[in-house]
Formats: sequence, C-alpha cells, structure tokens
Amino acid sequence: MLSIRDLVKIYPGPVTALQGIDLDVSNGMFGLLGPNGAGKSTLMKVIAGLLEPTSGAVTLDGEDILAEPERVWERLGYLPQDFGFYPHLSGRAMLKHLLRLKGVRAPGGLRRLSATLLERVNLAEASRRKVKEYSGGMRQRLGIAQAIAGDPRILIVDEPTAGLDPEERLRFYHILAELAEDRIVLLSTHIVEDVAVLCPAFAVIKDGRLVARTTPAKARAAIAGAVFEGTVDESELDRVHAEHTVIQSLLFEGQHRVRIYQPAGADHAGFEPTDATLEDAYLVMMKTNADLPGAAPHAVAAGGSA
Amino acid sequence: MTGRFRAVCRLDLAHNFGRPLFWIWILILGFIVWGLSGGNVRIASGDSSVGGTKSFLTSEFANAQLMSMVVLLFYGFFIAVSAGMAIIRDEELKVSQVLHATSLTPRQYVWGKYAACLASFLVILALHVAGAMFFNHLLSDADSAEFIGPFAAAAYLKPALFFGLPTILFVAGTTFLIGEWTRKPILVFVVPVLLFIVCAFFLWNWSPSWLDPRINRILMLVDPSGFRWLDETWMKVDMGVDFYNSQPIGLDAGFVVSRLLFSAIGLGSVFLTARHFARSVRRSSARGPRLARVVGRKAKPRTDPPCVPLASLGMRTRRPGFLRGLVEVARVELRELRSQPGLYIFVPIIVIQVTGNSMLAVGAFDTPLLNTPGTMAVRSLGVITTLTCLLMMFYVVESLRREASTQLASIYYATPVRTAAIIFGKALANSLVAIVMLAAALAAMAVVLAIQGRVRFDVMPFLLVWGLLLLPTLFLWSAFVSAVYAFTRSRYTAYGVALAALVYTVYKLIVGEITWVGNWPLYNTVQWSDMGVFELNRTALIYSRVLAVGAAIFFVAVAVRVFPRRSFDPTHVLLRLQPRTLLRHGAHLLPIAAVPLAMAFLLHAGVDAGFQGEQYERRAKDYWRKNFATWKEVPQPDLARVDIELELEPELRWMKVDGAFELQNLHDDALDAFALTSGLHWRDLSWTVNGEAAEPEDREGLFVFRPDAPLAAGGTIEVGFQFEASFPDGMTKKGGGAGQFIVPSGVVLTSFQPVFAPVIGFLEGRGVDEDNGYDAKEYSDDFYVGVTRSVFGTSQPYDVRMRITAPRAYTMNSVGTLVEESEEGDKKTVVWETEHPVRFFNVVGGKWDVRRGEGTAIYYHPEHVHNIDEMIGALDAARVHYSDWFYPYPWNELKLSEFPSLAGYAQGFPTDITFSESIGFLTKSDSRSNAAFLVTAHEAAHQWWGNLLHPGDGPGGNVLSEGMAHFSTTLLFEEVKGIRARIAFCKQIEDRYNDSRHVDSERALVKLDGTRAGDNTVLYDKGGWVFWMHLNAMGRENALSGLRAFIGHFAEDRDHAVLQDYVAHMRPFAPDEEAYDAFVEQWLFDVILPEYRILSVATEPSEGGWLVRARIENAGTGRMPVQVAATSGERFVDEEDPVVHAAEDAAAEGAYQEARVELVLGAGESGEVVIPCGFRPERLVIDPDALVLQRGRSRAEKEL
Repeated sequence: MLSIRDLVKIYPGPVTALQGIDLDVSNGMFGLLGPNGAGKSTLMKVIAGLLEPTSGAVTLDGEDILAEPERVWERLGYLPQDFGFYPHLSGRAMLKHLLRLKGVRAPGGLRRLSATLLERVNLAEASRRKVKEYSGGMRQRLGIAQAIAGDPRILIVDEPTAGLDPEERLRFYHILAELAEDRIVLLSTHIVEDVAVLCPAFAVIKDGRLVARTTPAKARAAIAGAVFEGTVDESELDRVHAEHTVIQSLLFEGQHRVRIYQPAGADHAGFEPTDATLEDAYLVMMKTNADLPGAAPHAVAAGGSA
Repeated sequence: MTGRFRAVCRLDLAHNFGRPLFWIWILILGFIVWGLSGGNVRIASGDSSVGGTKSFLTSEFANAQLMSMVVLLFYGFFIAVSAGMAIIRDEELKVSQVLHATSLTPRQYVWGKYAACLASFLVILALHVAGAMFFNHLLSDADSAEFIGPFAAAAYLKPALFFGLPTILFVAGTTFLIGEWTRKPILVFVVPVLLFIVCAFFLWNWSPSWLDPRINRILMLVDPSGFRWLDETWMKVDMGVDFYNSQPIGLDAGFVVSRLLFSAIGLGSVFLTARHFARSVRRSSARGPRLARVVGRKAKPRTDPPCVPLASLGMRTRRPGFLRGLVEVARVELRELRSQPGLYIFVPIIVIQVTGNSMLAVGAFDTPLLNTPGTMAVRSLGVITTLTCLLMMFYVVESLRREASTQLASIYYATPVRTAAIIFGKALANSLVAIVMLAAALAAMAVVLAIQGRVRFDVMPFLLVWGLLLLPTLFLWSAFVSAVYAFTRSRYTAYGVALAALVYTVYKLIVGEITWVGNWPLYNTVQWSDMGVFELNRTALIYSRVLAVGAAIFFVAVAVRVFPRRSFDPTHVLLRLQPRTLLRHGAHLLPIAAVPLAMAFLLHAGVDAGFQGEQYERRAKDYWRKNFATWKEVPQPDLARVDIELELEPELRWMKVDGAFELQNLHDDALDAFALTSGLHWRDLSWTVNGEAAEPEDREGLFVFRPDAPLAAGGTIEVGFQFEASFPDGMTKKGGGAGQFIVPSGVVLTSFQPVFAPVIGFLEGRGVDEDNGYDAKEYSDDFYVGVTRSVFGTSQPYDVRMRITAPRAYTMNSVGTLVEESEEGDKKTVVWETEHPVRFFNVVGGKWDVRRGEGTAIYYHPEHVHNIDEMIGALDAARVHYSDWFYPYPWNELKLSEFPSLAGYAQGFPTDITFSESIGFLTKSDSRSNAAFLVTAHEAAHQWWGNLLHPGDGPGGNVLSEGMAHFSTTLLFEEVKGIRARIAFCKQIEDRYNDSRHVDSERALVKLDGTRAGDNTVLYDKGGWVFWMHLNAMGRENALSGLRAFIGHFAEDRDHAVLQDYVAHMRPFAPDEEAYDAFVEQWLFDVILPEYRILSVATEPSEGGWLVRARIENAGTGRMPVQVAATSGERFVDEEDPVVHAAEDAAAEGAYQEARVELVLGAGESGEVVIPCGFRPERLVIDPDALVLQRGRSRAEKEL
C-alpha cells in the first residue's frame, strides 16, 4: 500500500506545486490525471524519492520513504517524463548497465534478460545501435524496458505513451496490465484514454490539489444523461458558451460540433443526448471546478473494482 | 537583426553575471591585484636591498609583464569555461531547438553569445585595471611606497589594450569554436591547458644563448600572451631602472601585427563558429528524413515479438553491494571516457611537457643534468601534479554531472545503487585517466633514458614518487572537487572554487608561507637521491600522505552526504544549516576527520619542533637579541689546533662529539673573555678549559669564557667540548634547507656552522630575519690596508686531527691524510691528520666505491660511475697543472667525495672536496659540453684559490676564490681539452654573465659584496673572464709568475688578500705598467662591457688574394684591443672529440684559413680594418679566440 498524507511541495518563488495531497494506493493500476502543471510529475518525483517535499508523509507498505528514499529505490520501477541515456552506449549496453545498478537478477543472466526485455519493447533489432541514433519513440521504449525490469513493488510511469505510435502504445498497455496484477502501478498522464483503458481507479489533480478520486465507470455514471451533442454555426457559438457548460467544441467541415454538460432539468434545445465518456467527466471537472457525484477524493479506495 | 542579436547578448550577459563563477573569479582577481600591490613582483632591474631608485610596480613595463601573465594563466581557464560552454550549455538545456525555430539566425545567436562572453571579460578586465590602480596608488602601504611611481593611466591602459585584450579575444574565440564544433566540455579546456603548458614551461623561459635570433623572434611573435616579446625585447637587455620606470613600451611592427593576428584569430574563430553552427542547424533540420531513413530501414513489417510473460522471466531485485555498484559505475564511466577525444589530446600534451621538462634540467653553472629514474620522477612531480590536477578537475566535474547532462539522472538516481558507489566508481574511472597519463609519461621517460643511454631504467622510483606520493594528491584533489561540486551543485562554481584553491596554494608557496601541513600537492618538497630514498623527510612524507588520504576520505564522505541525487527542499536546507543540525552532522563526520586532523597536528608539531621550526627560531632570535649588541665586534682568539673525536650513527641521524680547540690570542692586547657559539641541536653539552671542567656563561647559546687570567697576546688556551646531537633535528619546515646532515646514505658536516664543533665568537646571521635584518657592512676604500681578516674561518692556518668512529659499511673522510684505521666489532675508526695547516675542516661519509688517480681519489656512490673517468682526469690534471701554474700542492692527497643531493652544492675543503650527487656525478657530460670536467676543475681550483690563498673579509675578496676558480678552469680547459673547448667555456660563462647581470646595480669587482641581485654572475663569470683577459694582457708567463708570487705571499700570512692586493702584487710582473693600470682600472675598478658591431664590410680581389674592408664600432663601453679575423672554412670540425680538432689541426688539413688584424676601440668609437687574405674570405669574425668579454657576440660575426 502506498500512502500519501498531507503532502506539500513549495518551490522557490514561491510556487506551490502540491497543496496537501492525501492518497492511498494499493495493488493494481492507478491513474493520475491532470492538466499540464497540475503537480503530477512533482508528486511522481516525490514518491520516487528524487524530490524532497516541503512537508507531509509518504509510506510504502508502512515504510517511510521520505526519510529513507533508498528503501523505495530498491523496489521501484521508474519511467520519468523527461529522460535521456548515455549517448555512446548501445541500447543493450545501456539497459544492462541500468539492470546492474538496480540489482536485477534473472535465472538466464542479465545478457539474456536484457535481450528479452528489448524484445518485449520491440527494440531487439536496434539493440546494438548507439542510443544517440535512436528516435524519440525508441528512446521511450528503452525507458520502458528499464522501468519494467526487476520485480518492482511499485512502478511509476510518468506520461509513458508520449512519443509512441498506436501500435507501441497498445503493446505498452499490455505490459502495464500484466505488471499491475500484483503490484502498484502509478500512471501519470494527461491522456484520458490511457486511464480509461487501463486504470480501474484514478485520481485527478488540479493546481496541486487532489480534486477527485474515483473509477472510470463511476465518473462516467456521474454525468450520464447530462452530456449532449449538437452542431452550431459560428454565429451561435458565443450564445451556446454563455448558456451552457461547453465541455468540447470542435470545428468540423465549417460547423462547430459542440458537447455540453447540462445537468438534468436544464434547457438543452437543439442538442441530442449522447453517451458520456471519461473524457467528458474529466473535462467537466476541469471546467466546473466541482466534484462529480461520488468522486470526492476519499470516496473510493483505489484499485477497487470499477 | 540588431534587436535579436542584442537580446541574445543581453540574456547571456545577465546569465554570466549571475553565475558564482564570475564572482569567484573577480574575488580571486581582487586578491591577486591586492597581493601584487605589496611589491612582491617587480622588474628585476636595480636592487631593492640597497639605496637608489627602485623599479616601480606601477610602470608600463611592470603592468605589461603582469597583465600578459595573469591574463593567459588565470583568465584563460575562466574564459574557456564561459566561452567554450556557452553553446554546449544551451544544448544541454535543450533550448537550442526552440531558439532555432524562431527567426533568430545562427549568426545572430553565435555572435550574440560571443559578444556577451567578451563583454563579461572586458568588464572584468576593466575591474582588474581599476583595481590595480586603486590598490597601487590609493591603498599602498608604507612598505611598498618606494615601488609606487607617479600615476599614469596609460601605464595601465596600454598593457590592457596590447597584452590583455588580444589574448582574451584569442582564447575566447578559439574555445568558443572548439565548444561549438565538438560539443564536448572536456575539449574546451584543451586551449587553456595547452597555453598554460606551452607558455609557462616553454615560451616564457626557454631561451638558450645559442638560439638563432630569427627563431627567437618567431617564438616571440607566436606567444599569445606577448610576454616573450616583452621579455626578450626589453627586459633581458637590462635597460636600467630609470628607463623601465619612466619610458613607455616601444612597440615594433612585428609585435603589433602579432597582436592583431591573435585578435583576428579569435574573431575569425567566431566567424567559423557561426558558419559551422549554421550548417549544423541545417543538418539537424535535415536530420528528420535521415533518421526516418534509418528507422525506416529497420521498419520491416512488424511482427509482434513473442510475448514472454514478465513473471516467467524470474526477475528478482537485490540492492547491489558497494563493490558491485562501484565496479559497474566505473566500468561504464570508463567506456564513456574512452569514447571522448579529450584523453587522446591531453595525455600527449602532458607527456611531452613532462618529459621535456626533465630533459632540459640544468645544474651547477648551467650544466645539463643526467637523468636517472629518481631525478626524473621528482623533477617532473610539480608539473605533472599541476597539470593532472587541472585535468582531473574537468574530468571529475563533468563526470559527476554526466547524468544531469544526458538527462539520465532521474532514472539513474532512482536505482538502488549506493551514492558512495557512484562517487567512488566515477573517481576510480577518472583515476584511471590519471593512471593512463602517468603510464604514458612513464613510457616516455623510459624512452628518454634509453636514448640517453647512460642510466638503466628502473620503475621503482616512479612507483615511489608517482605512486606513493602523487596518487594521494590526486585522490585528495578529486575528492575535494567532488565535494565542492556535490555541495554547490554547479559545475561553474565547482571550477571556480577548485581553481581558487589551487591558485591560493601556489600563492602561499610563492610567498613562502606554506609548510608540510598545507602543502597538499608537495610542491618543492620532495628531494630525490639515488643514494637513499626520502631519508630526510620520510616521516613528514608519511604524515603528509596519510593526511592527504584521510582528507580525501573526509571529502568523499562529505560528497556522499550532500551529493545531489535527491533535490533538497529549500526550507529543509535552512533547517540543515541550524547550528544544532550542523553540529550533529559534524559529529557524524568527526571520526572520519580524526585521521587527517591528527596528521595535521603531528605535522604542525613536527615542523614547530624541527630545526627550521618556531622553537628553533625563537632560540635563535634570543641568541641574536642577547648578544648582537654586546658580542658582535668583540675581539676573539683564533684557532691554533683542532682535535675532535666524532662518533656517528647515520641510521639514527646521531652523533657524539668529544673535541678540543686550542685557541691563540693573535691580537696585540690580552683578552679578558672570549666566546664560542654552540649548535642549537646539541644536547648534554659540557665544557673544559685546559682539561678542567668549566662552566662558561650561557648567553642563549653563546658561551662566554672568562679565564682566571686574561689570555695574553700570543698566549694559548685549550677549550674542550662534549655533546650529543641528532642532526638535522626533527622535521624540515617544507622539505629542503638542510645543507649539512647525518642520514643513512651519507654524512656532511662542516666547520662553517656550529654543527659538530663550536664556532668562535658571535655567529652572524643566526636569529636574523626580515624583522631584524640589517644592511651589509660598509667598508672604507682603504679597508684592505694593514692586516685584513679572513672571510671564512680564522686568521691563521691550523692543524686538525679528526678521529671518526662509524659503522663499518661507511667510509669517513676528513681533511688531511688518513693516519690510522682500525675496526672493532661492527665499527670502524679512522684518524685523519693534516700534514699542512688548513683554515677550515669538514667530515664527509658514505657507502662508496673509490677510484684513485695520481695522488687523487674520488669516492662515489657505486651506481654513479657515469662521469668518474672524466672527473678523475680533471682532478689529476688540476693537481698537476694548478701546482705548476700557481703553487705546489702542499697536501698528500686530493679527495673528492659524493653526498646525497639533499643539498645541491660543492665545496672545496682542503684535501677533501665534497660534491652533491647532482653536481658532476649526475652531470650530463659529453665531449662537447665537458660539464663534469668543468665542475671538477672549478672545485679543485679552490684548493689554491680559497684554501692556500684564503681571501680577505671585504668587498671583492671572494672574487679571488670564485673568479679565480673559473679562470683556473679556463686555463685547464685549454691545456687539457684544447682551444675549442676553452672558447666554448668562455662563451658559455659570457652568456651567463650577459643574461644574468643587472646593469643598474652592477658594481665594480672591487666593490662586490654579494648582497645585490646579479652579484653571483659577476663573481663567477665576469671574475673568471677578467682574470683570463688579464693573463692575456700581461702575457701568460708574466701573469703566472705574478700569481705564484701572489699565492706564495698570502699562503702563510695573517693578512688576507683582496683584489687591491692582487693588483698590487701583480703589477711588478706587468711588462707595460700603463697598460696594466688601464686594464685594472677598467675591469676591476669600473664596470665596462664592450659591444662590437660590424657597421659595414666589403670584399675585393687584390693582388695575390683578397682584401676585406670593414667598419667596426664599439657600441658598448671600455677600450680593449680586439682581434678581427677574415676566415674561410670551418675552424673546428664538428666531430665528437674536439680536442684533436684544434685550429692548427684543421689548418694543417687546409680546411681552415684565416687572416687577422688587431683593433683598439673605445666606447662609441668606430674604426676601419683592412685585412689582406691569401684566400677567398667567407666570414668576418671579431674576437675569434674569445679573448675579450663583450655583449652581443653573435652580432660580431658576419658571412661575407
């Protein structure tokens, strides 16, 4: 169990990145959604033991990982948002080096293990090439390979699908799902679809605060029947914005396809009801600054069934 | 364009001035400028210890000297960091791509960044100049006031413009180009390191007298600092203090063009940078398709890889242990280092420098030194330490921030590998860089020794010096730099602090305030002797190295604690700085700090209690304070006989003395009291008078005896003394300074100081330092009239009996003849007695082999056989010819004994010459240099000029010792080695005189008292030349007859000779008294130096041959007859043995022809010579036989 209590992080400036986060995460995949600059990466870094918070507590299975970050490093798989590698090493050499630093062991030896891991991320053919020759996606996959290595108790992946093509993204989903069976997998992302596909539970962070903690199904259910879709002209757009909570507006073939959130009872002339998606739920939370019914931060134990 | 250029420039400028690096640099600069304003560095003209004008440190010349050096040596590294890293930094921060997606052009970007760097350093230069003005003219204290001239802004601005600015432009431009071109931080530092090596160790000081002026000129112009030009053009030809103080620097066209070219190279480099950068930007934008091609090539139709479940891989994680982590970090770090070109650039540069430095070392009289593994290892230690520290500084910092630079940090630091393993692993890898460098240097040294072909290569001295001594230094330095980086978390601050630490250490070394405690790089402390390893300083070295390793471990511990693996929260940083927290952390580090602190304490205590320490200084000062006023001028008895029993234990550095002096009152009046000065290191001292126990008054080491009855004129009294001593007592202060010693490899004891026997009367010099120093004694013009006291020892010669007991393995020599030798157990006792009286005595011992000649013997270290043949030949020849020319040698044997080079002198005691191993025995001597012959002939001459003729106490007296020894050497060269070798020797000492004399402060030989800078070369080199010219002026036989009579008169006399006595005694032998007077007036009583120039020369055919017409001028001073020769062919065939290729031989072979005329020219006079030749002349040579001491001899020759 990962337990976070009243976590505050203030950067010089001062900029408050985290404003008293409380969160419990048990085994399984847990999503962390939020807009850019919400504090997700800061939270990930604190949990990974790379950033000292201003105050608060973080424990993993009861162990204080703020006081002794080495304790979490022994059991951590970490894929940060931005990273690089030694440019002169080949992918395989780089991976082997990281495996050794992590103290990973495998029955067939590290050579075989690194080859297998590189296969899993589809880098087998490029394993002998120097990292500096890798494309962004290849580097990302190498990052994934090192993160999943070993037998980490907790896997933290920060914006992991950035730079991956759809095929690789799917492959990564498989890996994460496989790993999440018996450990904590913390997925930080602003791509709602990732959470929708993978996470039985997730939390939303905004401006350093935890604004929701729920499951995708509950989030969708909370706005079910309140999402409508319609097409409006350019001239009507301002009026629609004034009268409704517009959660999405896309210009398509000269017309605006608009999705609005309209709680029951309100007038929604000209709009047809439509199925609510997780993205709708997320955008409603961002637009309305209101908690969704049943999505209060402590309402659902993460990892619980959707 | 201007706006964007300005925006880049402004941003970088703001960044530069926000960096700690700049402020550290400004602080260092302020410290340097303030330090220099104290007058520590001035032009070496004139003399500061005597009255008269001092050279101003505010003059244009002084400022230019300092500016050229400071800008290149100190600015260079900071400019490299700033300019070289400007583009690399943007790349690391990944802002380049964003920047180049804007309308900013590469040219605007590059020039904007360069302009910012340049502007930053121009501001610093301006602060530097302003600081110098401020400290020199407004804050100068009374001590330095005499070095401060009137304020003139041009004296500061012109050096900054012509010496500072071009160097800044050059270094900034080239490092900028390298940084952009390679994008490798390490390579950026190649430029300052290379400039440091080339300038400090080559361009600024390598200027042998034989160097072709054209090559010298080229070297002047290729010096990026301008220092060599200034030195060679203006400073070496001493123009006098007034000139330097008041005149502006005269710039020549070549120099101005050179400065413009360096500036142009700097700016041109920026132009190239802009071009290359523009191309690279285009390339990177074109890289997309290329990468796509690469990726596309591999992008075959995808087949899903076999999906092996991760759980089935059986992966387990266990935190890697320290060693496992260390090895892994080091392994990969090494791969990274190996892939960087820095290694392949720095290592050869440093190796070349280190070996070159060893090969060019010179010893006594500038004779080249023979390299042995030990001397090479030690001689190169300082250079290799400095260069390796600089290199390690860059490698350590760049290595520690490699993860940050490559953005691997968040993955890397989240692994469970221990921080200590990371730091040690990286340190280990970086150490291997140093080890590779040392191995390369070692291989180069082996090659040098193989080429030299005289000494076998042995790896052990290198292991001892570079292994045991140097590696702890490098370990400490790396740890310190790591700790600074870990603490500051900034590469630039780390560079600044590390450079500041290095500069501070060097500064303390220069001002002489460093002891074993603070001398972590062991600068100037390590002495090598092939005869015994680190015998004098072994304990201090052990403590020092344990201190270094202990301090290194401490710094590593600090680095591990504060290494930026995890970003601290600022509020917690403040908490951590609370006293209680600091104390708690300090307490944790205390056990680690205990060892270095203990070692520092032991060293400090050892230095304090040692013979150069404060305790001894205090006692010496007490001695001076108590006795200077009361006993300095009190008449004393003289020695009449010495009888000493000396027991030695070299392994324990111990001696026991039981001796007696017979003292005689040579004054006209009875002496109520007399005094003897004891050694400060003596223990259990007791005295007897005429065999009875005595208790003289102890005046802090001056023992005053008051006999029951005054010692009547001519009366004698016997004073006995018994004591024990360790000598030298305790540690040295900073490594050297032990002129006499008892160590396992050898013993050197002399009667000059109260070391193993008392000295009669008050000992001048004891307890004197800068606080109580006093001016040299003023002598009246007729001081030599009447009886002149001896300069050393006592006024009359006396007999010595020396009974020495030492371990059997030792041979113990002393003055006189060995009269008795016996062995008992493991001890051997020898008795030496003088068969002819002496004026001072010594004891020298060692474990030697001996080579005997004709009444001569050389005692030498068994491995130092290299020059023994040449030295015994010189000794034999000296004994025979000097006896023949000057005075019959009155003793039975002439010995020469070698001692370890803990001291580097040679001394000619009667019958018992002592040589440091670095003199003669390890001189690089060949048939061309005859260096071993030279030093042996010189020292052997002191048996006559120093022992038989003992100079008087007064100005010019010592010229009869040292000048005569060089003159004797000149004669012996011609006699034994031939005219070519003699001419070579004359030219060699003429060059030394011209290079080292100080025109302003030079005094006539009769006024020479050794107190002024430049006196040394006048004493030896000019002295030797003057006696040689005098011999030629008087005629050889007349002069030698005069010299024989001169020595004969003074050898047994109570009066001691000075130069005025020489003049008086030689005059009767002069064939032309008028010419004689003119000569001595010029050369002994005045300072003159002819300088001959060929104003014009033409050849024309004449009846039966050719005519050479030449106009010659004496642009110097003095009037001397000088020969002018027209020559054809080579006079001396350039073969190995010059002896057989004297002029006659070559002439006999018809290879060389010459015709000569003689010309007499006074100062400023010119005259025409016509030389009829029976051959076609090829060359006009003034003074072909080196018979007239002169300046600019190389210009007194012309090809026809």
